[in-house]
Amino acid sequence: MSDGAKTYLVATDVGGTCTDTVVFAVGEPVILGKALSTPPDFAHGVLDSIKSAADQMNLTVEELLARTSLFVHGSTVVDNAILTRDGANVGLLTTEGFEDTLLVTRGGYGRWAGLTEERMKNMVKTDRAAPLVERNLIAGIPERSDYKGAIIRELDEEATRAAIKRLIGEGVDAIAISFLWSFYNQKNELRAQELVKEIDPSIYTSISSHIAPTPGEYERTSTTVINAYAGDIARNYIENLADLLQKNRYAGPVMIMQGYGGLLLASEAADRAIGMLECGPAAGVIGSKALGELLNQKDVIATDMGGTTFKVSVIQGGQIEYAREPMIDRFHYTQPKIEVVSIGAGGGSIVWIEEGTNIPRVGPRSAGSRPGPVCYGLGGDEPTLTDVFMLIGYMDPNIFLGGSMSLDKEAARKVFDTKIAKPLGLSVEEAAYGIFRIATAQITDLIREITVERGLDPRDFVMHAFGGSCGMVSSTFGAELGVKKIVIPYTASVNCAFGLISADIVHEYSVVKTLPMPASLSEFPPLFEPMKEKALKALADEGFTGDKVILDWSVDLRYSRQVHEVTTPLKANLPLTDEGLERLSNDFETLYERKYGKGSAFREAGIEMTQFRLTARGLMSHPDMSPSPTSGEDSSKAVVGRREIFVEARSAMVESDIYDFTLLKTGNLILGPAVIHTPITTIVVQDKQRAVMDEYRNIVIELG
Amino acid sequence: MDPITFSIIRHRLYRVVEEAVITLKHVSGSAITNEGHDLMVSLYEADGTLLLGGVGFLHHLTSAAEACKSIIRRFEGDVHEGDLFLLNDPFTAALHTSDIYLVSPIHYKGELIAWSACFVHVYDIGAMNPGGFAPEAQDVFSEGFSSPGLKLVDRGNLRQDVWDTLLNMVRGPEMVALDLRSMIACNNVAKDRMISLVEKYGLPTFQETCKTLVAQSEVQLRERLREFPDGSWESRQYFDVKGEVYKVLLKMTKKDDELIFDFTGSSPQSKYSVNCTKWASLGGLFAPLFPLLCYDITWNEGVIRPITVIAPEGSIVNCTKPSPVSVATVGAIQSVNNAACTTIGKMLASHEKYDDQTSAVWHANHFAVFMFGKNQKGGDAIGILTETFAGSGGARTFADGVDIGGEIPNPISRMANVETVEAMFPVRYLFRRRLQDSGGGGEFRGGTGGELALVPHDAPDGGLHYVLSGKGSQFPQSEGLAGGNPGAINDYVWVHSPESDHGHNCFSQSLSSIPGEKEAISWGVFPLMGKDALYVRWNGGGGVGDPLDREPASVVIDVINEVISPEAAREIFGVEIQGEKIDAAKTEKLRKSIREERLLSKGGK
Repeated sequence: MSDGAKTYLVATDVGGTCTDTVVFAVGEPVILGKALSTPPDFAHGVLDSIKSAADQMNLTVEELLARTSLFVHGSTVVDNAILTRDGANVGLLTTEGFEDTLLVTRGGYGRWAGLTEERMKNMVKTDRAAPLVERNLIAGIPERSDYKGAIIRELDEEATRAAIKRLIGEGVDAIAISFLWSFYNQKNELRAQELVKEIDPSIYTSISSHIAPTPGEYERTSTTVINAYAGDIARNYIENLADLLQKNRYAGPVMIMQGYGGLLLASEAADRAIGMLECGPAAGVIGSKALGELLNQKDVIATDMGGTTFKVSVIQGGQIEYAREPMIDRFHYTQPKIEVVSIGAGGGSIVWIEEGTNIPRVGPRSAGSRPGPVCYGLGGDEPTLTDVFMLIGYMDPNIFLGGSMSLDKEAARKVFDTKIAKPLGLSVEEAAYGIFRIATAQITDLIREITVERGLDPRDFVMHAFGGSCGMVSSTFGAELGVKKIVIPYTASVNCAFGLISADIVHEYSVVKTLPMPASLSEFPPLFEPMKEKALKALADEGFTGDKVILDWSVDLRYSRQVHEVTTPLKANLPLTDEGLERLSNDFETLYERKYGKGSAFREAGIEMTQFRLTARGLMSHPDMSPSPTSGEDSSKAVVGRREIFVEARSAMVESDIYDFTLLKTGNLILGPAVIHTPITTIVVQDKQRAVMDEYRNIVIELG
Repeated sequence: MDPITFSIIRHRLYRVVEEAVITLKHVSGSAITNEGHDLMVSLYEADGTLLLGGVGFLHHLTSAAEACKSIIRRFEGDVHEGDLFLLNDPFTAALHTSDIYLVSPIHYKGELIAWSACFVHVYDIGAMNPGGFAPEAQDVFSEGFSSPGLKLVDRGNLRQDVWDTLLNMVRGPEMVALDLRSMIACNNVAKDRMISLVEKYGLPTFQETCKTLVAQSEVQLRERLREFPDGSWESRQYFDVKGEVYKVLLKMTKKDDELIFDFTGSSPQSKYSVNCTKWASLGGLFAPLFPLLCYDITWNEGVIRPITVIAPEGSIVNCTKPSPVSVATVGAIQSVNNAACTTIGKMLASHEKYDDQTSAVWHANHFAVFMFGKNQKGGDAIGILTETFAGSGGARTFADGVDIGGEIPNPISRMANVETVEAMFPVRYLFRRRLQDSGGGGEFRGGTGGELALVPHDAPDGGLHYVLSGKGSQFPQSEGLAGGNPGAINDYVWVHSPESDHGHNCFSQSLSSIPGEKEAISWGVFPLMGKDALYVRWNGGGGVGDPLDREPASVVIDVINEVISPEAAREIFGVEIQGEKIDAAKTEKLRKSIREERLLSKGGK
């Protein structure tokens, strides 16, 4: 590798369990690497994962990185810091009189939010999560702005200094600052931040008007506190990662994935810990979107089923949905974040019988990977969905994870019989079919709910199925939802890492201001111009100019006296004209009715604009996947056996062909019922379904 | 029946309700529906049997069931596919006129198979005071539009004459129209989803599932009741309106697998609008029963069957027409609620298996403040202060109550941000925070309530007015259990100032430092004009166990966090604190002497 030609693109995604790597170069096959994550020191896992990819290329890590021009990264480090309560000792400065705002979480909201309906119903057993800031580390500061952002009480600097010194004396190493109405006027917050720096420059600070400049003091304060809490961890993590890569001969830029699905340069990402929250699932959606673009699919339901959860998100017309009230653990935050909805249904989900009603249930409790399902033989003694998959013939006890682990079917059968089948008065097979149906029905209900909630019809969508367990159930719930087809991508197991290499640099800007519709055109340039200037400068500094820059403008609108706001893309050219404004207004009404249902539009009350947003993209060069020529429909060479599997439509076990994914050729056709074993997962094709391996080695199931 | 199919259909029925709730919130878009979650959706069998009640305002589950049954009786032979009925008469089934029920029959292939019902608190109902609560009303005739049942939609066609008539009688008709539209959309979604459910599984399977679901809940509750010893548990609740004191007396008797709730001895009906009709009392009783006793049982008619209620006619818990009732939902219904919470809690505590399901009374007394007037932009504004949904948690047998943690009858409520309120109304908060010493003392203390102060800000009319239905500032209502103290009471103070200039430059951090004359108020319409201020403090939850048994370290933490005062630490909890440390010797001595005093005072009486 003496020429040192830099040609590779490397993406590594650190998830809760595994760290995945994708290595890509034009004209070469995509290389997938996988290793276990190693929290809290994630760096080892990152290197292991890169190494597992480099090994396949007969390169060392150093050789690979020396030839790499871009390193893209996503990590669960911030989520982890919060979930394990491993962050900084945070102090909070807030407007005097409102010291409890963070702690009382808008009343019961923080007590019930994030719980399942079942847990909400048992109120006596519900509590808030312990706060990230103790009450004695929250200081009320004499200052006040009003609803227009006018400062009606100047910051009392002396009191502020005293409060800062007291907090530092109490041992805080980070200070969050969140004042009422600061998103209209950040003067007082900025001054308070300066005072902290004057007193002790080593204290990490976060101010709400910078981190989350949006209305709603509870959510804004919570966001700022989370950012302060994980700020140092994120910064150290990113700096260490850059060092580590450099030591391994990497000389290019490091890009960090954000929860809104875009990349930031490491130097910028290091100051916004909050941006890294849930960036893994966000990357997964970006991966799905990229795959959709490759396959010319604009309306996609992206599903992912791993060990503990089933996740779903919706891409409509190539557009991604953003979450309205995101949470991490049980803390609210407000940031643009891709909406990913999940329920506790995964391979490890425990199957149980409800006391009192004798009804079989699935999840949300999971056996995880340790002790794991009964069939793993690692001491698990509660039946799980994975055990059910085995009992209905979907898993082959002998070739699990490419043969690296064998499974104990008899143990699974015995436990399932005692704990589930007998209490239900059913045979093992009947009970197992039933559990499979319950699990797929719950998933169907979830997907129906989130699509219907947005006024969408699942029948207009293609489904993507990612994750270790999704291939076994997607052909069943996909059929019930009536989706057009199901794609189980070649990169299904490393989808988040694949998403990383499909993402662009994205900077998000926003300004809050309430304007009536229509508003005077002179109102807009003072809102738009500063954002545009900032964005162009940031992107130019990162090397993006001209046609590598895309500016997407949008406006949040609502009907007066209504609480629902809809972010509406501004499709007209700037500077805005009256016609452009009218188009925005019409687009809002269309979107509103689509999202909130027919009859929800409330024109009589008038329309208001509340927030103005700029999404500035620097377009990255993305992998150009090259299709391979197809080699005919005949898949018989990939048949490696026959076995009885459960066929939903016939409610019975049916002897079916078993295929080896690695022996399949592009263009091969498989008629259901059938099972395809890949090195990492299993794909079930149900009765009367046709599966084809497409030219990118994705398995595409066409439904009836 | 086949447990697998049953499990799938049950799950789907829950989703039907959830989807309908989402629709209701989406279309309504109002703060009270979206922030306060002041809504409910439920499903009924063809004969009006409650099949599935959702997690909404639980007062309504039983009365909406009665609304269904009442519509079935009234419109016998005249219920058609595509019809939609409206009912809001409190003497027929509703709680008060401003909580409108829309009830929809669900047909499958021409056959009536089920009903859905929902409610929201509409923007206005044309009562003498804006917003629905009418403290000044002398009878139900002054409390706005009221119907024992009318057909709003006839075979899919909106009856425009009825619609126009209704909207002709309310303030903010466009807002009320939207509320009604949201309920129509909600019922439509419920209907669509139910029909597709029946299409997939067939009518016989669907009907069998419904019967099983109701039967199962009944069996579960009866089995649970059998686990407890037979006995009676009592609770007494007092509250006052304008100096008049009312009493709600409850004796709950458990025998075998049944419960009897007897309100004999409660006060006669009031001339004020705090009265409950029997439907309101029934709802008030069941609201805590569902989450406390049936937390793991499907909420439906099966849970209602083992329960008998005795409420004397002409009493405050079963008033006769034309008694005013518009404030019922924050009036006597809450005392019914609280008393039921206490008696059920006492019974739960009698069995070690259920001891940890016991709870002292939560947010015992709403403080309904409806502001009305011109907002900053000159438009009309009517709206409730949503802090009344923020409540406070009662103590448990294993933990403190949740500070400003909500309320039992409305499990998933929340309050609006200060910034939201200040953007919608011409007011400014001076403070909004937990109220020190408001949680009832106990080994586990009640959650605190809160306090807030408002002044006018940037108001075109110099301010606005508010309707206050603040009964009960004399007696604590958040009862404690097992020796725990009750939570503090509500208080409302009108600070008035003769000055009327715009622009209030006050930044006071306590009631005492707000300039002006302070007048305790609780009932009626008051101004927040010029340099007036409104101060409200709201009740904490009840405590559980003797405060002298509270872990002294927990008391110190509460003092550091300013949740309790050093005085209360000493007087109520018997804990002496030096700096931020416990003085163990003095504490032991103090607790001993308080105990001795108690014995003496007992002997002395």
